[in-house]
Amino acid sequence: MPNDALLKVEKVTKTFGPVRAVDDLSFEVRAGTITGLLGRNGAGKTTTLRMINGIFLPDTGSIELLGAREVAAVRDRVGYLPEERGLYRKMKVLEHLLFLAAIKGQPPVRARQQAEKWLERFELADKRAAKVEELSKGNQQKVQIIGALLHAPELIILDEPLSGLDPVNVVLVRGILQELRAAGKTVLLSTHMMGEAEKTVDDIVLIHLGRAVLAGGLDEVRAAYGTDTVHLAFEGDGSFLPTLPGVTRARLDTNAAELELQAGASTQALLSAAMGRLRILRFEVAAPSLEQIFIEKVGGDTLGEPAASSEEVRQ
Amino acid sequence: MNKVIAVLKREYLEVVRKKSFIIMTVLGPFLMAALMLLPMLLVTRGLEEKHVVVVDGTGQLAAVFSGANGEAKEASPEELSLKDASKLNERNQMAKALALRTEYVAASGDPRAAAQPYLDRMLGKQGKVKLDGVLVVGGDAFSNPDAELTYFSRAATDFVTQERLGGMVNRAVSRGRLAAKGIAADEADQILRRLKVEAIKLTRTGEEKRGGELGFLVAFVFVALLMIPNIIYGQEVMRGIVAEKSERVMEILISSMPSMSLLSGKILGLAAVGLTQVGIWMAMGSLLVIYAGTGLAMSGFDPTQFLSVGIIPAFFVFYVLGYLIYVCVYAVGGAISNSEKEAQQFMGPLIMVMMIPWFLAMPIISNPESTLATAISLIPVFTPITMFMRIVVSEPPFWQVLLSVGLSVATIVAMLWATAKIFRVGILSYGKRPTAVELWRWLKVA
Repeated sequence: MPNDALLKVEKVTKTFGPVRAVDDLSFEVRAGTITGLLGRNGAGKTTTLRMINGIFLPDTGSIELLGAREVAAVRDRVGYLPEERGLYRKMKVLEHLLFLAAIKGQPPVRARQQAEKWLERFELADKRAAKVEELSKGNQQKVQIIGALLHAPELIILDEPLSGLDPVNVVLVRGILQELRAAGKTVLLSTHMMGEAEKTVDDIVLIHLGRAVLAGGLDEVRAAYGTDTVHLAFEGDGSFLPTLPGVTRARLDTNAAELELQAGASTQALLSAAMGRLRILRFEVAAPSLEQIFIEKVGGDTLGEPAASSEEVRQ
Repeated sequence: MNKVIAVLKREYLEVVRKKSFIIMTVLGPFLMAALMLLPMLLVTRGLEEKHVVVVDGTGQLAAVFSGANGEAKEASPEELSLKDASKLNERNQMAKALALRTEYVAASGDPRAAAQPYLDRMLGKQGKVKLDGVLVVGGDAFSNPDAELTYFSRAATDFVTQERLGGMVNRAVSRGRLAAKGIAADEADQILRRLKVEAIKLTRTGEEKRGGELGFLVAFVFVALLMIPNIIYGQEVMRGIVAEKSERVMEILISSMPSMSLLSGKILGLAAVGLTQVGIWMAMGSLLVIYAGTGLAMSGFDPTQFLSVGIIPAFFVFYVLGYLIYVCVYAVGGAISNSEKEAQQFMGPLIMVMMIPWFLAMPIISNPESTLATAISLIPVFTPITMFMRIVVSEPPFWQVLLSVGLSVATIVAMLWATAKIFRVGILSYGKRPTAVELWRWLKVA
């Protein structure tokens, strides 16, 4: 495939009054992947997703979606879960799903089959005749997610899909996202929870103050920006460990140590150096967490509310 | 198109399933009838029997108010023989409807002075029976052509009693004056008999229709039928949009279909609701006419006398047109407001303007061919309702009716276009309400 980007965001800017919510943002989403749009609250994630869905028009820049320049042309092939949940509270669950399918152009018979299937899959089959307002927040969230999947869209855009779900449901939804990817679907999700993203996504786009500060495959990003941490358990005198080449920071206990290494430093060399002088009980290389990369990347800049104050400074 | 239907269906079902809709549909006609009939009943019947003292300066009217027993007596036994039975029957009916209890006092001197104790009594200075009014007849009533009757009451607005007493005295005085010229009592009655005016509406097809006053009433009922659902469902559209905005269902809707489809679906859905309701009301009305038809026919009341069959299709056409115009205005109100309260404030003044045809219903219905009526019935926003009023009570030139329909359609298309744009941008402008300048910019940009 010459070009497998399903979504291209190019130099997009969106300003609300004095606030530049999205600033010259460019990124791509590869077909068949789960891409995480990461950033703090107010970083511009929701505005970006709304522009992709044609709810806002970008001030400048362009968005290409499923090969089309106009969202309108492909809107039935996109599924969208808005950040702030939107369901008619008085409608019954199944009825509501059928309505959502209908406005995505699905024929009723097929919509009903799909709705039943997904209700089953999301463990909501017994709630099909309940009114939306009678459901718990987590269950409403699941109904809304079904609404985004019901018409079998090629591209699924989920704004904070896991917020408000309990741990059991988080695992359920994560499993479903993996299934969707396996079925060849493309998912773009936003989240501010780095730990969650790590377990779910293939690619990341990290945005801060409306700009992409980091983008690429999760592993590449880790390799390029992260520093490995070595967890060590041993017998003997480990006082020499912080002085070994490549070690930038160390925490030393009687029988254990945590060593942070320089980017690119060899863990194998460290292991052999340590083995010569200590009896090693455990040696573990931990990949850097997104959290660490994120903090490293945007640093002290993130303290406090980033959106308004720092935006204004930049104007 | 399927998406429009999906929205239409959802909106329709949501409202039709509401208890308030069912209650309103079933009870609406009764409420409306009660609202219109009750004041009429209260005025004609009075809340209770009126007790009036007549102070007669001439001392010759005792026969008219032969009053100790109270029942006002308008025809003495000797006069009765001269009158036809139906007339008597009519009077008795009236006397019963306007329960009037008169007390007759012949005053020899100054009638005003003689009336004083009764006036005091009326004002409650002396207890006993409650008095509602005192009629003073001057001593020169028969001789002086400029003589006046004075009616004292605590409420000068009780014109029904006032007119009635005045009529009774006047008839007696006229009869007395004629008698003074040597005209016999039976001849006097013939001379005094009033001629009835019968209003006949002539249509272009040569039909003749009776029932002027009833036609007036029917026009009002139809106009109310036309306006009330507009305002109720207009509010419904507005409320729905505000709710969708605050619950953010709108994001899903807007990302799934063009705003024009969304708006059309919503508006048509509620138009269907309104038509359903009005249709049910009309069906109830027809049933009533069919059931009561025989009875009415026997009493000489023929509904087709003031209701031409052509009104029904005209009603549906102008209902739909008027509805769409009103609802677009409400939809804009909903789209640019963030709460229902804010929307109501914004809509208040606009709705007063939209109600102009209703405020002018009286002059338009009584003068359907006047310049005012013609002009208002051809102003785009007011045309559906005003033209319909004119159709009910008269026969406006056909080209005017066509022009009205054309103007309405053009207005609706223009407003739908503008509404869809404002709606599209307004819906997502959470936060403060836009200024007029911003609204204008949206119209151009979106």
